[in-house]
Amino acid sequence: MNIRSRALAAARFALSAFVIVAAVLPLYLLAKQSVTPELETFAWPPHWTPHHLTLAHFISVFEVNELRSAVLRSLGVAAVSAAIATLLGAMLAHAMARSSIAQRIGLSTVSGIRLLPMIAVAIPLGIILATVGIYDSPSGIGLAIVHAAIAIPTAALTLYAAFAAIPLEIEEAAWIDGASPIRIFLTIDLPMARASIATALILCFILSWDEFGFALLVQQTNRTLPPLLYYYTVFGNVGPASALALLMMIPAVCVVVALGPALRGTLTAGSSR
Amino acid sequence: MRLCGIRSRFTTVNAASKRLRTVFVVVPCIFMIAMLLLPALNGLLLSFDHHGPSLANYRILFDDSMFWRALGNNLLVPFGSVIVEFVLGLALALMLTARRSRSALIETAAILPFAIPEIVILTLARYIFLPRGYLNGALAMAGMHALPWLSPRSPLATFTVILVDAWHVTPVVMLMLMAGLQTIPDELYEAARLDGAGTFATFWFVTIPMLMPAIVGALILRGIDALRIFSTVLVLTGPEGVPVLSTYSYSLWDDAQKPHEAMAASMILALMVTMIGVGGLLAARRFSRDDGARA
Repeated sequence: MNIRSRALAAARFALSAFVIVAAVLPLYLLAKQSVTPELETFAWPPHWTPHHLTLAHFISVFEVNELRSAVLRSLGVAAVSAAIATLLGAMLAHAMARSSIAQRIGLSTVSGIRLLPMIAVAIPLGIILATVGIYDSPSGIGLAIVHAAIAIPTAALTLYAAFAAIPLEIEEAAWIDGASPIRIFLTIDLPMARASIATALILCFILSWDEFGFALLVQQTNRTLPPLLYYYTVFGNVGPASALALLMMIPAVCVVVALGPALRGTLTAGSSR
Repeated sequence: MRLCGIRSRFTTVNAASKRLRTVFVVVPCIFMIAMLLLPALNGLLLSFDHHGPSLANYRILFDDSMFWRALGNNLLVPFGSVIVEFVLGLALALMLTARRSRSALIETAAILPFAIPEIVILTLARYIFLPRGYLNGALAMAGMHALPWLSPRSPLATFTVILVDAWHVTPVVMLMLMAGLQTIPDELYEAARLDGAGTFATFWFVTIPMLMPAIVGALILRGIDALRIFSTVLVLTGPEGVPVLSTYSYSLWDDAQKPHEAMAASMILALMVTMIGVGGLLAARRFSRDDGARA
């Protein structure tokens, strides 16, 4: 082994160690904060292991009204927006997989939309939602619609490959048997793409679940989880904030660990903030 | 981006399916435009409205020193963060695609920061970098001085913001570069080895040129996203600590109750993103055409 390859091996080891520490240590500290009393979290020098254990922060998530309703609102907004985005995304992806004009229109709309900064949309959108009467609504319906619009590109890109892979002979056979185009779409294309539809639903759900900017501006008092976590963090409620943060991670981490490499392509294709 | 797989041999193209296809394109696109583009255009109009049409909102911005700080940071922070992401992402991608050191555990650990919701990463980062946070605790244990990582207006705070921003999205850059690395045929590496090229020569003359399309794509996409930095600054330092255009606009709207000035600031950001985004895309197209001509 010469010096150069030994240096490479050392660099490789250092990088691996760094990656594991950067991924695991912060999560450990978060978990520790969520089960220790707040006084202990503010101790100096900081404690690296919990000295006292408590479940009070997790219990507060389910007992404090503000926290519980934020969890429910986040779930609702994410579910509704994922359903709308996947439906509209499936329509767009289907058309894009069948016609080059549709493809051009779809791609230019999606990339044009991507250039818009959140803040340039959210402030005027808030004013519009207020005039329609769904600004900061307790159900979060305004935010759900916005999240659906942001998530359509993700859904469409996830579903495009699935629709492009369906053999046209099948559609032709159905056509000859007298099925209308909409019926072909509903009873043949959608069921055949069901694995990708599930992926699209999950990705859109997580996109909404994690989204912070629009949620902060559109739901000013009836908050979803990310803005609520922001206020708890900034105003020093360490314990509940840590418990909330830990709970927030569950959906996303489950997906990545379970689906892992299978998601690679779609994660990078749909990533945006 | 170009998607392939269009099949023109669809023999049953007829009025009914054409009509359906039109509906399928128009409905989602109108929905996106109505929810995102039209509000932004409305904001553009309102940004020129100061008790009647005028440029007063922009003039107010240009007289505000905070605006110029925000503008400067909005160039500096994304630039720094893209560089950090790129260097780390490339190192990780090279390590994880090398045959000898492929490891599912390290790959999962490397992707994990992206799977964690952004706001959770930021919450964590705040507890780590606070004056009496874990990092200073670790420094104290090692017998070193504590550092004011988040102190407002300091270059160190800018550095911390860059680092935390890069932490969350490095996995995306890594995945894009890994996808690019996997398309490089093994024969090229073999030929380089037979010609006696060492590790670094192979890297410089084979890997980097072949990876160029993936690198350009990753830099453009990440660059556009990085310009829109908002939550990192808001959570770590507050809107005044290391102001960027998004947080500046947000505090004009939320704290100062000046919606029209806020829209003016956000329009300047939108203009910046559009210019850099379109410029990057044109450069990339030119690049790929040159590449095609050479091949």
